[in-house]
Order: sequence, then C-alpha cells, then structure tokens
Amino acid sequence: LNCSTRLEIFQRDSKQRQKGEKKKMANFIIRTAQPNDVCDILRLIKELAKFEEMEEQVILTEKDLLEDGFGDQPFYHCLVVDVPKEKQTSEGHTVIAFAMYYFTYDPWIGKLLYLEDFFVMPEFRGFGIGSEILKVLSETAVRTRCSSMHFIVAENNTKSIEFYKRRGAADLSSEEGWRLFAIDKEELLKMATK
Amino acid sequence: MNFTIRAATKVDCKDISRMIMELALFEKMTDQVKISSEELERDGFCPNPLFECLVAEVPKENKSKEAVSLHVPLGFTTVGYGLYFYTYSTWKGRSMYLEDLYVMPEFRGFGIGKGLLSTVAKCKALFVQVAKEKHCARLQLSVLDWNAPSRDFYATRGAQDLTVKEGWHLIRFDGQSLDDLGNDAQKK
Repeated sequence: LNCSTRLEIFQRDSKQRQKGEKKKMANFIIRTAQPNDVCDILRLIKELAKFEEMEEQVILTEKDLLEDGFGDQPFYHCLVVDVPKEKQTSEGHTVIAFAMYYFTYDPWIGKLLYLEDFFVMPEFRGFGIGSEILKVLSETAVRTRCSSMHFIVAENNTKSIEFYKRRGAADLSSEEGWRLFAIDKEELLKMATK
Repeated sequence: MNFTIRAATKVDCKDISRMIMELALFEKMTDQVKISSEELERDGFCPNPLFECLVAEVPKENKSKEAVSLHVPLGFTTVGYGLYFYTYSTWKGRSMYLEDLYVMPEFRGFGIGKGLLSTVAKCKALFVQVAKEKHCARLQLSVLDWNAPSRDFYATRGAQDLTVKEGWHLIRFDGQSLDDLGNDAQKK
C-alpha cells in the first residue's frame, strides 16, 4: 500500500442532512508524517488530551517528537491527514487528523500493531476520515506481519467504543477481564534502587 | 534460595517458550498460544528486536521438582522470566511495557518475581537515563481481573489499576475483523 492514499470525494452538500446519512467532503489525503509535521502532531496531541481532560499531562515537545520519530531508531510511526487550503481551520491549519502507532509483542501471537493515539478534529468528523485511517492502519498491520491491532479507550468514551465495535473490535477488558496497570516514576526508582 | 537474573540469550528461547505456555495455562488461555521458540528467536534476537527478555536461574542443586502440567518434564534451572518492550506515550514520550512476568509456582516466595520486576525497573531507569531522563518513566502492564495475587503483587509496589481508576479498556482488532477493516467491509 502507498500510504499517501488520495481519495476523491464529492463536494459537500449544503442541504440539511438526515441523521445517519454520510456527509461528503472535498479531497483529503492520508500520508506518512514527515519531520516538518511535528508542530501539527503536537497540536493535535494536545487537542486530544484536552478532550480526555488531561491536557496538563502532555509534557512532550516538538524536539522530542522529532528525535523520537525521525531519528535512527524511531519509537513511533505517524499518519497525518491533509485537507486543501480552502478547507483549512479557522486558525489556518490544513493538517486535521493523525494516528500514532508502534509495534509491540504478544508472546502468544507475535508482532502486533499498537495504536497509541487516533484523532480527527471535531469539525472534520462524519466524512469517513477516521474510517479511512483505520483502513490504512489495518493494511499496514497486515503488510508488516502483525496478527492484531490493539489500543485502549476510556470506558466513558462511548462514541469511540461504538465506532470500534461496529467494525468488529473486541473489548478485552469487558470480555476477558484485562485491566491496565501503571507503575510511575517514583515507585520505579524505589524498586530500582532496592 | 540463590538465584540470578540476567538478559536472555537465543538459547533461552526454549525455556521461555515453555514458561509462556505455563503462564497461559494459569491464565486459562493455552489455546491462544500460537507461536513457538523459533518465532521468539527470530523476533527477539534479530537486528531490530521486537522485545527484550530477562530470565531467572537457580543453581543445578535447586532445579525444579514439581510438574507445572502433566506434559512438562522436571529438572529446569530457568525458573522465571520478564518480557518487555519499548512503547511511546504521546503525553510523556518513550516508555516501557511489561508484557509477561512469571515465576514457576515452586519457586515463588523467594523474591524472584520482585527481582525480575526490579531489574526491569532498572532497565527502565537506565533507558530513561539514556533517553535524557526527562522522558517518560512509567511502566505499564495488564493483569486479569480475577488474578488477585498478581494484582496485590503490583499494588504493593505502587501500581495503580487504571481500568478501575480511570476507566481504560483494552481493545483489539484481529483475524477476520482486521481483514474486514482492511477490505473496508464496514458493518451497517
């Protein structure tokens, strides 16, 4: 797959839409992020964190993103979505969505694609951008020999959970009882220095 | 009991594979184990390894005597492992995920699990140092809700249950659902 997938979509209809009818939009492009995208990626990371009510927890900088994603050993991979200039946001941005992923390992099935963040700016939702990003991700997973794609969702994010379930995803926390745990820095240092 | 913890080598993959199956047996999910020691060798000891692993060893005189399952012979000196890999947090940067931590039942209670976890934490600290210290210092892992001994083990070391506390759920696309996604077979 060429990650610079270009989709031709019809002009937006200005009439009032019925609920459930798919909205249409001018062209958008999904492509692999480049070093000069780090500013937009950080902006979108902060917007998603704000939505999750955790904006103050983002301490990552553009420099970190550059070193960590575009150095000799990338720690993550990123897709971004461009819209044409005439569709730019009120603040003049044309990069309006992103998905960040990396490869992990399940000792039972091997290599996995882990989706860390996935976000489409609210004003660009409902046009199928999210679905197309997921499609590119799943094609990437299959092409790179991954058995599965995993990610986490907050249980109160019912819209996202429904979005994924409609597409056949399994909620492993509900279905199999898996709980996510975290051990933070202070506790790690205590253990490491014992 | 004396034990040592060290980085796994390719030769350890047969023992690691055995213990992966023992852990799956405990988690009541052996039918989900699809890969063998050959895949572990390929994926963990290639130029860009997908994971790192620690193993715990005991001296020959303490080799295993109890069978974990009917099909597994006795006499092992590699009695525990910790398998982890590097992840990325969009909030804090470089991070680590502890995928598996296991000690054979007859070797529990001697501090081997704690030793493995501490060594992973040290690797993390070293990793953080290499990554200029300002980066993420958080270790994540998953535990089954009914696995109370493991939940307690991590809780006494300061772990927080983010599923209970913050409502995070683990979601998966695999097999048919992954293929369908790729083929744009969206359900109506």
